[in-house]
Amino acid sequence: MPLAAIALLALAVHGPLLLMQLPAVSTGGSAQIFLAQHYSQSWFNPWNEKWFAGFSQTSYPPLTQQWVALISRVMSLTAAYMVVQLFAVILLALGAFRFARLWVDERSASFAAIGSIFLGSLSMLVYQSGQLPATAATALALHGVSYLYGWSRSAKVLSLIKGFLLLIAAATADHVTALFGIILFAIPAVVLAITDRNDSESSERTSSAAVLIRAAVMVGLVAISATIVLAPFWSSFLSPQQQIPLPDGSRDNLLLNFSSAVRYWLIPMGAIVLALPYLFISGLAERRLRPLFFAFYVAMVLGLGGTTPVARVVLGRFYESFSMDRFTFWATLLALPLLGELATRLIERYSVKATIALAVAAVLTFSIPLAYVTAHPPSTNPFRTEPIANFLNRDNHDRFRYLTLGFGSQFAELATRANASTVDGDPSVARVLPEVAGFGAAHFDMARNYGSAGMESLRAVLKHASQYGLKFIFVRDRYYEPLLAFAGWRQIESYENGNVTLWSKEDVPPLKKIEPVNPISWFERMTWGLVPMLCSILAITLMIFFPERRRVMAEPIPFPSAETQAHRMQEAR
Amino acid sequence: MRLGSIVMIVLLLVLIGAGTVQTKSLHISANTPETALQSFFAQVKAKHWDDAFAMVQPGSGVEKESFIKDLGGNNESLKTISALQDVKTKILRESGNESDLRADLQWSTAVGALHESRDFKLVNDEGQWKIVWTPPAKNDGPPKPLPTTYLRWDVVQRGSSRDEWGVQNVEPPRMRIISMNAIEYQGGVTILGEVVNEDTVPGFVTINAILLDKDGNSIAEESSFDKISHTLLPKEISPFRVDFANRKLADVKSVRISPTNILVPAAADPVVGVFNQRIEKDPNGKSILRGELVTQGGQTVNIPHVLATFYDQSGKVIWVSDGYVDKALLPQQAVPFAVDLRDDLAGQVQNYRITVNYYNSNRS
Repeated sequence: MPLAAIALLALAVHGPLLLMQLPAVSTGGSAQIFLAQHYSQSWFNPWNEKWFAGFSQTSYPPLTQQWVALISRVMSLTAAYMVVQLFAVILLALGAFRFARLWVDERSASFAAIGSIFLGSLSMLVYQSGQLPATAATALALHGVSYLYGWSRSAKVLSLIKGFLLLIAAATADHVTALFGIILFAIPAVVLAITDRNDSESSERTSSAAVLIRAAVMVGLVAISATIVLAPFWSSFLSPQQQIPLPDGSRDNLLLNFSSAVRYWLIPMGAIVLALPYLFISGLAERRLRPLFFAFYVAMVLGLGGTTPVARVVLGRFYESFSMDRFTFWATLLALPLLGELATRLIERYSVKATIALAVAAVLTFSIPLAYVTAHPPSTNPFRTEPIANFLNRDNHDRFRYLTLGFGSQFAELATRANASTVDGDPSVARVLPEVAGFGAAHFDMARNYGSAGMESLRAVLKHASQYGLKFIFVRDRYYEPLLAFAGWRQIESYENGNVTLWSKEDVPPLKKIEPVNPISWFERMTWGLVPMLCSILAITLMIFFPERRRVMAEPIPFPSAETQAHRMQEAR
Repeated sequence: MRLGSIVMIVLLLVLIGAGTVQTKSLHISANTPETALQSFFAQVKAKHWDDAFAMVQPGSGVEKESFIKDLGGNNESLKTISALQDVKTKILRESGNESDLRADLQWSTAVGALHESRDFKLVNDEGQWKIVWTPPAKNDGPPKPLPTTYLRWDVVQRGSSRDEWGVQNVEPPRMRIISMNAIEYQGGVTILGEVVNEDTVPGFVTINAILLDKDGNSIAEESSFDKISHTLLPKEISPFRVDFANRKLADVKSVRISPTNILVPAAADPVVGVFNQRIEKDPNGKSILRGELVTQGGQTVNIPHVLATFYDQSGKVIWVSDGYVDKALLPQQAVPFAVDLRDDLAGQVQNYRITVNYYNSNRS
């Protein structure tokens, strides 16, 4: 199947859903749009005053936000986000093909690419979690790892350049993919390159050491470059400051918690669950496929979260920093080459019946997550944030800071619309205010979910409302009202039929601007602002204009060989 | 390679088993009194009331409904918006089939962390330890709502425009700080005092304090936060306390106190009476001010907040402490309260005064 057809299929499946802007109300989508808005207004200045009373956007890798910011020049931010997400999904399908092609024949790789479009784990990440950075970084990593294989095995310089640029782009899109995802895909590819090193038509023999050295050169170059480009990010990411662990179902023991098992494993895996026995048997049957199977196995075990002790041991202090669902996403991607092969075998054997069964399985795997997202929307009872933003944007109300309580994913939506600044922010890009340093980073908007530590950190910041110019608090969860009432705030307004109330404090002076904490150098600003975009643009340009020659695998000729000329039937006399 | 597949599957099962054993170890069985109590509170924490009640020794007066109300709260009290965070248990006495235990409970509530200490008796019932639940003291009869004739003050806005909210074209009520005392406590500086509304209309007051050094520069700024009753009726007095962490009194030359007050609508109802006040020691030997609250009017008070002002022989405020009551006050029904008193000051206290602040869910 030509690559264009795979891209068109991805466009046909995900295009309408993204046109409906479903990820706009996802858990993380609006936060990404908020971060992109800053790049659209101030590309080279990472200091954003709208969250945490001022924070540096170097606390989150920038690539996807910069793409959204760039495209938002010709359309709205939300529409730009959807375009970039669509592009990431298409790139992922093509990457899945390219990666699968390392392991299996072209037909099976095509099925793998089609499968990647219908993955339940992808649906959950795109439409429930709003993980544009993770999906885009994984797509770039899949392509990059394929070139890593090409370079390690055949020493093609063009593969080195393309792979290098793609992996840098992946690292600058998502740090978790940079730290864990690339390793999961790269190690089996390098082992495969060692296995395949002498399979080419060339008579020249290549040693395992040479393959390993070439792989190490490329990985080393990527690691050094990513460290330099993301230097401001690593310093904040690796700082000892901790987040208050937020209960997350992906870290539950899935055997003991059925709803978490459904949300974080059964739905993302979809019909792949039925193929698990095949994956275990077929993945280990052939020596060449074993590295792929082991990578799938590790990713799957990590994706099981608290069901096994492995994730806690391997991830250490990062275990409670992010959701485990992306490991399940990588596990499903790593399973795709084997599943593509399974599809080929089934179709060869059962033809139409198998085709229909596989199509139904793919559609169900894709559509059940969408049904789940509809039944369990990230934002329950969504409300209009325009009236609140209008309030903050008029009559110099932006001279004061504000706080939201219970807004959920719409917190970032309001932050994007409003000119005013808040003392809160998404903890994944945490800057901890000095008042709450003793408790750890928390999202005040959902302080109650963190238990005592969350409520104590909220109390600590409310005590210093005057220092931060924190005058307005928008409450959507009445749980917080007693604290505000006892602490000296008064309800002055209500919105959305009383769904949201505005509380104010009289004696709060206008905000004082906070100077950038640890400002970055001119060089760092330039590399942060230019390198991720340049790497991704250059890599995609090279991929389009200098495509790899398609590898034709030697196929056995049937014996006896087929006759080239058909028998002629003679007229009977 | 079937062997390899089997090995990988077995390894996966072993890992899952290890993870499950690790998780299950948190759900301890009830074969010792301490583990039984831990297990009981694990069910309370998860709000699995049926499972928790199943661990209670059946007996007279133990009803599931009152059991749930006791632990989960009712009438929109603070308990209803609380979650059990942590439990520490200690055996007080153990003899054969009976044990007395103390549970120190930490609740995460809407107003911050609350600590509670409760004693429990456990009995061994056919190998399983059960909790002898003491039903909460029953008040006589249902709540008695009374007609209220208390004063109420409303603010009539000048003009119809609501755009100018927060800007009042009236003079704020006269508030005066009638006493103030700066002390050093737990490595910080604490400002204590009392504020009175001297006007004939109610006011909403907040106290901000700034510590100044010998050059008149500001060292730190804090507010009274919830250590004050913000709404003061005419002639009403409220204590206040402002805490500055990590400061030394020796570095402070003066303190600038700035009360901010505005005119607000208010009502004299509900009036909460304080009865049976006494200072005593709790089971841990700490000094406690105990008493009972009774709402005199017809309203239910959902979350009462008790502020206690302690005076020495000369009538100076030497400490202000506060505590939230996790039960709602129903009309004419007494609810006990307890407020901490610093042990080092217990001997100096000659007098004390209780101020009751409150939050009602239907107030806003």
